[in-house]
Amino acid sequence: MKTVIDAHNVSKTFNPDTIPILAVNNVHLHLERGEFTALVGPSGSGKTTLLNLLGGLDKPDKGSILINGKDITQLSPNALIDFRLHHIGFVFQSFNLIPVLTARENVELIMQLQHKKKEEIDERVLNLFREIGMEDKMDTRPAQLSGGQQQRVAVARALASKPQFVLADEPTANLDSKSATNLLDIMAKLNQEENITFIFSTHDARVIERARRVITLVDGQIHSDTARVPTDLPHEGEKPRN
Amino acid sequence: MNLKMAWRNVWRNKTRSLIIMISVAIGLFAGLFVLGLYEGMMSERVRTVIDTEVAHLQVHHPEFKKDYDPKFTIDENLLENELKKIPEIKAFSNRVLAQGMLATTTGTSGVQIIGIDLEDEKEVSRVDLKVKEGELLDPGKKNGILISKKLAGKMKLKVGSKLVLTFTDIENTVTSGAFRVTGIYQTINTPLDERIVYVNRATLMDDLGLRESSHEIAVILNKDEDLDLVKNGVQAQFPQYSVLTWKENSPETELLVGTINQYSSIIIGIIMIALAFGIINTMLMSVIERTREIGMLTALGMNRKKIFLLILTETLILTLVGVPIGFICSWFSILYFSKTGIDISSFSEEAMSSFGFGSMIYPEFPFATMDSVLLIVFITALISALFPSWKAIKLQPADALRQ
Ligand SMILES: Nc1ncnc2c1ncn2[C@@H]1O[C@H](COP(=O)(O)OP(=O)(O)O)[C@@H](O)[C@H]1O
Ligand SMILES: [Mg+2]
Repeated sequence: MKTVIDAHNVSKTFNPDTIPILAVNNVHLHLERGEFTALVGPSGSGKTTLLNLLGGLDKPDKGSILINGKDITQLSPNALIDFRLHHIGFVFQSFNLIPVLTARENVELIMQLQHKKKEEIDERVLNLFREIGMEDKMDTRPAQLSGGQQQRVAVARALASKPQFVLADEPTANLDSKSATNLLDIMAKLNQEENITFIFSTHDARVIERARRVITLVDGQIHSDTARVPTDLPHEGEKPRN
Repeated sequence: MNLKMAWRNVWRNKTRSLIIMISVAIGLFAGLFVLGLYEGMMSERVRTVIDTEVAHLQVHHPEFKKDYDPKFTIDENLLENELKKIPEIKAFSNRVLAQGMLATTTGTSGVQIIGIDLEDEKEVSRVDLKVKEGELLDPGKKNGILISKKLAGKMKLKVGSKLVLTFTDIENTVTSGAFRVTGIYQTINTPLDERIVYVNRATLMDDLGLRESSHEIAVILNKDEDLDLVKNGVQAQFPQYSVLTWKENSPETELLVGTINQYSSIIIGIIMIALAFGIINTMLMSVIERTREIGMLTALGMNRKKIFLLILTETLILTLVGVPIGFICSWFSILYFSKTGIDISSFSEEAMSSFGFGSMIYPEFPFATMDSVLLIVFITALISALFPSWKAIKLQPADALRQ
C-alpha cells in the first residue's frame, strides 16, 4: 500500500489575536492509496478546516502534512497552487462549477491549466463524462443542470487532473437523497474500479454507510477512527436502510 | 479558454457592462469631437494667418522690426530674382511700411500704413476678398486708401471720405499726405484691422523717399510643409536679411495653438479619469460578486498570473468594445460637420472675432492626436484593471470558498 497523506500534529487556530477558535487540534492522519474515507462530525467540528489543510487551501499553525512524501506546509503560495493543480482533486459543497463555462469546458479547464494536449483532453473528458453518465449533457451550462448533475460534473473535474486523491467537502449536503445516492454510487465505483482515493466529509448517515473507514471529529480532534465493511449498493426490491 | 471565459464574464451582467461600454463610446466620441472642433478652429486660424495676415515667410532688414525705421530696407531686385527661382514658392509680394497717424476732422488714430502692389498682394494676402464696400486700390489713383470697417466706424469715415496720413520719411522728416478712401475692408481679425491701412506702394515709396527697395517681402509657399526648408534656404542665400516664418511673425497664433493643445489634453484627461472610475467600480463589483468563484479557480490550481490576466482581459474587453463605436460615431459626425460647419455666431461672434476666429467652425478629424487618444484609452483601461485584478489575486481560497 502506498501512503498518500501523512499528517502529523496538525493544528489550526482561527482569530488567534481576538477570540481564538481551535478548529483543528493536534490531528494525526494517515491515508493510503485507494481508501474511501468519510470524515464525520457535527457542524463546527472542524471537518472543512481539516480538509482545507489537507488540500493545501489553508496553512496549519503547527504540524506537517506530507502528500506523497512532500510537506505541503513548506511550499510557497505559488508552488502550492501548482501542487494542487497536479496532485489534488476538489469537490465542494455547492456551486462547484464556473457558470460561464459548459460542463465540458469546466472539466477541460483543469487539463488546459496543466497544459495537456488537445487529443488527450478530448479523450479523457469523454471518458469522464461516460463514467458519470452524462455524455449527453456535456455542452450544457451549469445553470441548466440539476444539483446532482452539477456535483457529478464536479467529480469528473476533480478526476481530470489525475490527482493523488479527491477531497470532497459535504458533496451531498445540498442534494436530495436520490441524487446523493447516485453521486455516492459513482464515487464508490470510481474508487473500486480505478482505485481513486476519496476522502469526504459528511454528516449524512446514508453517506457514512458507504465508507470503508470513518473518522469522527469532535471539537477539532479525532474522536474515533474505524474501519468498516461498506454497505453494498441497495439491491432491487430491497429498501435502503436508514 | 481565458479569452472565452473573460468574454462571457463580461456579458454576465449585460446592463452593467453595456453602461460602461456606452460610457467609453460617448467619452471617446466627446473627446474626439472636441479635438476635432479645436483642430478645425486651429487649422482655419493658421490658414487665415498664413493666407491673409503674415504669409508663410517674411523677409526684412534685421533692424527693421525693432522700431519700423523706414531706412532699414531690403534690395527688392536682388531678392525677386532669387525668389522666382525657388520652385516651392507660389507667390510673393513687396511691401513698404510706415508707422503713422491718421487724421480726419473729427480725430486721429495711430495706424500702420502698408504700401502694396495690388496684383501681387491679391496672391499673398487675398486683399481683394477683404474689401466689402467701395473698390480696391487703383494704381492709377495715387491717393487711394483702403481702411477697415472698424476704423471707418471709429473715425466716421465712408467711401470717398478724405483723410490725412502723417509719418516720418527716411531722412526723419515728418511728412503728410492727403488720401481718399476708395474701399472699406473687413477681416475676421478685428483688433488687427483697426490698425492697418493700405495704400499704393508707389505712392508710399515716393512719400518716404525710397527707390527700388522695400521693407518686407511676404512669401506664400505651395505647401505648408516646406516652411522650414524654404526658410533655411532663403536665409542661407541672404544672410544679411532676416527670414521669419509665420510662427515667428504671429507668435500669438503659435501660442494659441499650444494653449488649445493643452486644453485638449486637459479635456481628454478629465474624460479618462471619469471613465477610469466607472471601469474600476464595475470591475470591482464584478470581482466582489465572484469572490467564491475566483477562490474556487485558485483552489483548483489557476495561478495568480492567470487570475490577474483574466480580470485584466475582462477589463480590456469592457473598455475596448466601446472604442470602435465611439470612433465611428465621431468619424461620421465630424465628417458631416466638416461639410456643413457649425455656426456659433448666435452666441459668441464678438468674442470669437476678437480672437481672430470666424463664426463658422469646420471640425477636422484629429488624425494627429488620434493615436495618442487611443493609446490613452488603452492605458486607462490597463490602469483601471490593476486594482480589481489585484483584489482578485489577494483572495485566499479558503476564505473565498466559505462565502
Ligand atoms: N475563517 C474562519 N474564521 C474564524 N473561525 C472559523 C473560520 N473557519 C472556521 N471557523 C470556525 O472553526 C470551527 C470549525 O469550522 P469548520 O471547519 O467549518 O467545521 P465543519 O466543517 O465541521 O462544520 C467552527 O467553530 C468555525 O466557526
Ligand atoms: Mg463544513
